[in-house]
Amino acid sequence: MARRWTALAATAVITAALALTGCTGTPGGGGGAAKEPYRIGVVVSLTGTYAGLGVPERNAIELEVERANDAGGIDGHPIMVFFEDDATDPAKAQAATTRLIEQVKVVAIIGATGTGQTMGMRGDIDRAGIPQVSMAGGNAVTAQFDPLVFQTPWPNRIVVPFTLSYLKKQGVTKVALLSDSGGYGKDGRQVVLDGVAKAGVTIVADETFNPGDTDMSAQLTKIKAAKPQAVWMWAAGKEGAIIAKNLQQIDAGGSMRLIGTPGNGRKEFVEGAGDSAEGFTFPAGRILLPESYGTDTEAYKVATDFIARYTAKYSKAPDIFAGHAYDAITIVIDALKRADAEPDDGTLGGTGAVKLRGPIETTKGLVGVGGTFTYSATDHNGLTEKDLVMYRVESGAWKLAE
Amino acid sequence: VGGAELLQFAIAGLKNGAIYALVALGFSLVYASTGVINFAQGEFYMLGGMVAVWCMRALGLPLILAVPAAVAVTVGVGALVERLALRPRRSEPALVLIIITVGVSMVLQSLARHLFGPDEMALPAFTAGPSVPFLGAAIERQTLWVWGLTALALLGLWLLYSKTKLGLAMRATAVSHDASRLCGVDTARVVMITFALAAALGALAGVAVAPLTQTAYDVGARIGLKGFAAAIVGGLGGPVAAVVGGLVLGLVESMSVAFISSTYKDAIALIVLLGVLFLRPGGLLGRSDREKV
Repeated sequence: MARRWTALAATAVITAALALTGCTGTPGGGGGAAKEPYRIGVVVSLTGTYAGLGVPERNAIELEVERANDAGGIDGHPIMVFFEDDATDPAKAQAATTRLIEQVKVVAIIGATGTGQTMGMRGDIDRAGIPQVSMAGGNAVTAQFDPLVFQTPWPNRIVVPFTLSYLKKQGVTKVALLSDSGGYGKDGRQVVLDGVAKAGVTIVADETFNPGDTDMSAQLTKIKAAKPQAVWMWAAGKEGAIIAKNLQQIDAGGSMRLIGTPGNGRKEFVEGAGDSAEGFTFPAGRILLPESYGTDTEAYKVATDFIARYTAKYSKAPDIFAGHAYDAITIVIDALKRADAEPDDGTLGGTGAVKLRGPIETTKGLVGVGGTFTYSATDHNGLTEKDLVMYRVESGAWKLAE
Repeated sequence: VGGAELLQFAIAGLKNGAIYALVALGFSLVYASTGVINFAQGEFYMLGGMVAVWCMRALGLPLILAVPAAVAVTVGVGALVERLALRPRRSEPALVLIIITVGVSMVLQSLARHLFGPDEMALPAFTAGPSVPFLGAAIERQTLWVWGLTALALLGLWLLYSKTKLGLAMRATAVSHDASRLCGVDTARVVMITFALAAALGALAGVAVAPLTQTAYDVGARIGLKGFAAAIVGGLGGPVAAVVGGLVLGLVESMSVAFISSTYKDAIALIVLLGVLFLRPGGLLGRSDREKV
């Protein structure tokens, strides 16, 4: 009996050790000379509701870091990236941030995948004084301004006016909201409610669902009774496809259009929703159809090159989330190139970090896949409505909407 | 709220309720024969959907074969879980076994993520086609399948319990392991069969729901919680109690969206659960007599 307990205890210890070593670095490849590597922390959701977003983000970052290291790193400094999984949980994102700062001593943190997780990291970011580049689209990320926090997706304050002007052009004035009660939907709902009056659109129903819910037909029944022309859903996870299906069930006549957000720009959404995705309209960046950049532009070259390399490595085309991660790591690498190569005197929380915040803030005209980034002391997002286009699902594929 | 809308709310509630019921059936079966709440029940639900999708994508099986294959694989997993994780600790108190099932659910979920990836996956509907209109409301075809399978499961369990020798042995084991063994019942085998049966029910629910909601490696925890709540509301008694518990929970959820607020849907369901436990600690259909201490 005693021996069996020992075996059990040993197994537990090994499991715990394996879990701890989950935080492993990807050492620089062709660094060559023994120059001190730059350590970059990445907090993404590899499990939980946003796992489908976090995994392509990790893939894109691995791809770009590998490329930078193969090209000799930054002035001979290899890049080491440390991935942490926040399990789509703000508390775990915060714990991961502490670990990256205290133990790994990173110079910058990329993350998180979700808005709630990104906001949960802020206290530690501020304490350590290192910059954070978030891949979450929530408005709060850069609207609640922090000199250390930057953002690569289009925040809702850009997405919402863009969508509203599209709706108005389409003659849609009565809209129902169906938003998830997590960070993304809550954020989007608030921006919509603040902006509709000016745009001449009325919200006739305002329903929510919880992340992970598997049926929204009750909410849609209630929405249908309010007779909106369109249902505007805020759902970045797998709930989006469920809503599309439920809507098709409730509204067989098709009297209500379904409108979405950049969060729906995933192949899984179109596959999951099947024919109920037909006619679904959503705004997103141009990466889904690179021709929309204009084939003679630099953005087209950047995007098609990224798409080709990503597809070759992962045998799957990158989605918009991989694009946000590409932009984040590209911005950090670009800033590292312009930063003082010497570590600072340790005044920033004693992490020995290079001074990276300033170089990130002076990012100018950097062509990424989500748009062209120009940060300033007051704008840490750097994108405009020009970086968005409207997509419409036709025969199971994205097309540019009129 | 008009009549057709009320009917639509009821349909939504009964649809979710039937899913909860199938999962709750698994909980009450295992509880009856072992006194253990099997927190890996939700993972059987997840495995059903994921294995079916995998059979179609990786093996190219048609849906009609993928569904039974998924149920069969999950049944095997259920039997293995009992044999490898629970039987070696059979003499421990129920609490130890319950914690083992929590561990099993984590292992199964992690394995599924590594084997099948983190993305959600879709399964085609069992019968394609538009929703069926019904008195001004609409019912998805897949919902009819969910209801049919729930009814079939209930009928099958009733036949098993009341008409077969195995059912008799299962009922005897539920009353007393020791007494059953004295009468020549191989209780270890009965417990294993119970787990396999619970796994089959969970997998069946998972496969039937995947066309409606898609499936992913992490759907088990949430449905497990709902199924557990349904089993408690029903009273952890026989199959009928589990089904009643599931349907009541589903209806309460959809009616709270209709009349109160969609934001507090889950909270309201939880309040109902607490209310049932306060007023009838044995559940809606459970015996109301309490154990004397």
